[in-house]
Amino acid sequence: MFGDLYGYIDMAEKVFAILGTLIYLIFALVVVKQVGTMSKNVKDKFNGILILFSYIHLAMAVFLVFLAWTIL
Amino acid sequence: MARSKDLDTVAPDDLVISEEKTEEKIVEKKIEKTPPKKNSVSGKKEEEDVSNIGDKIYEILGHTKHPLSSILVKPDVFSFEERADKETIYMVARPHWFTNVSWVLTTLLLVVAPGLLKFVPVITEIPVKFQFLGILAWYLVSFAFAFEKFLSWYFDVFIITDERVIDIDFNNLLDKKFSEAKISMIQDITSRVSGVSQTMFNYGTVFIQTAAEVPEITLEKIANPEKIIKLLQVLREEEERETLEGRVK
Repeated sequence: MFGDLYGYIDMAEKVFAILGTLIYLIFALVVVKQVGTMSKNVKDKFNGILILFSYIHLAMAVFLVFLAWTIL
Repeated sequence: MARSKDLDTVAPDDLVISEEKTEEKIVEKKIEKTPPKKNSVSGKKEEEDVSNIGDKIYEILGHTKHPLSSILVKPDVFSFEERADKETIYMVARPHWFTNVSWVLTTLLLVVAPGLLKFVPVITEIPVKFQFLGILAWYLVSFAFAFEKFLSWYFDVFIITDERVIDIDFNNLLDKKFSEAKISMIQDITSRVSGVSQTMFNYGTVFIQTAAEVPEITLEKIANPEKIIKLLQVLREEEERETLEGRVK
């Protein structure tokens, strides 16, 4: 009985973790989109670096979803 | 005075134009067609005016020392989407650097925080895979926090060109605002420096009231507000002079 309960708790934790990381992934996509839009509006020296950072952030968010899916 | 012979086609009082005279007229016309020296003189005058304004701007604001300065004077690299072909950027201002101190300190605390978790006894009971994922997520959120704050500062720009003032606000990732007003439309400029940090580091809010569609442009936490007011005054005077001389672009 308790085995089943722990199984359900584990499953719930995994679902919550995946949902959380997916929401974060959406946020990372918004960041990429906004940095791209603002870089078109305002062109300055560091725009390229900022775009790069936004994509690295997106890649890390994808990696986080992957980790939540696999290791939990 | 010679009269026209063909009275059917020409009115009686019309002058008969001899061939010699037509040639003279052509020569006169040719002379007229060549660009008059007046234009080149006024062009030189415009160039002189532009260089004078440039000197005045440097006199008021000084030279930019760093690309991430709060004030960029006549930047070479900087541009914006709505810029006209021959529009010259005189100044770009971002909020004062001191406004970044609070989020930099917060970010440092966020980075250090996971190291302090080992002093919390409950943490050891959490499975390692959860700990690992949690710490990774924590650092990612910390990075996102710092990145968003930097973007809010970096893309929050106030631009003064030879024709207009433009305010681009980037409050957060989901809130941005663009407002502009022609320099000739500026009616009143006031500034406010309040509080300890603003008084110490000389930054504050500049209110630009305009006769344009946007009644007021507010520049928050801007460095050296008095210099910006002075620059806008110089540009307004120049704009008025241009209008009087009929040199409006």
